[in-house]
Amino acid sequence: MAYSEKVIDHYENPRNVGSFDKNDPKIATGMVGAPACGDVMKLQLKIDEQGIIEDAKFKTYGCGSAIASSSLVTEWVKGKSIDEAAEIKNTAIAEELALPPVKIHCSILAEDAIKAAIDDYRAKNKE
Amino acid sequence: MNFFELFGLEADYSIDLTSLATTYQALQKTVHPDRFAHSSSQEQMLAVQKSAQINDAYDTLKNPIKRGEYLLQHLGAELPNEQASFQDIEFLMVQMELREMLAQIKFANDIDAALMSAQESLDIQARQLWLEFEQQLAAKSDAANQQAGETLRKLKFYHKLYIELERIEDALFDD
Repeated sequence: MAYSEKVIDHYENPRNVGSFDKNDPKIATGMVGAPACGDVMKLQLKIDEQGIIEDAKFKTYGCGSAIASSSLVTEWVKGKSIDEAAEIKNTAIAEELALPPVKIHCSILAEDAIKAAIDDYRAKNKE
Repeated sequence: MNFFELFGLEADYSIDLTSLATTYQALQKTVHPDRFAHSSSQEQMLAVQKSAQINDAYDTLKNPIKRGEYLLQHLGAELPNEQASFQDIEFLMVQMELREMLAQIKFANDIDAALMSAQESLDIQARQLWLEFEQQLAAKSDAANQQAGETLRKLKFYHKLYIELERIEDALFDD
């Protein structure tokens, strides 16, 4: 199966790889895994007082599509409010990267990672 | 006829893989195309279908994870959606650490020792999960079967780690 040019670009030059300190209250961490393929994805968002995502980093162990999906998401969420980020749909990710049907679950994983990170942020900042 | 019945087995998780292989060969002989050279085309087709079913059954039964899933379904358990993502944070943290450990192997001073210790870490954790799985099955309740399905999902991550370890090993000793 051939990867699209965009997937290869993100795979070879992944954007925003790395980690933030997960104990920092401004940092939201989302961890998700896909049992079907054993992929593990960590997405971290740095969120300012206004609820705007200042920065994002990811670490993904998985196939090229999973790495590309998470790399793309880190670019997309920057500058968005958490509510806007929560609106990002896997279908948009899959479309942007031209993922074939068997790789759609990689985009679902990336969408779930955003949601998990936002849940983490809301749990941290409940009061 | 379910896969266990096809192989003359009780629907049970623990099976003897050697006798499974023997039964597989014996079953395939009964449907070998040579035996149907002079049969009607309908009989030939049935033999081909049966042969495919025997292959399916063998592939499922010889693989520990697939056998576990098949057994749970046979027992009426609803398995978690294959596509649904897994969000057990603690478990995933460990997975991340294990992946990082594997990625570090090639930088180790003593690569053989690093490979061995990685293999050992995977073995210990996977063995623990298989133990949990067997205990959950032994409890013979719907709730425990459900948990057993979750345990199998975790084991799939280990399956992937073993593949990754093998890939790293191959890459290291190729050059």
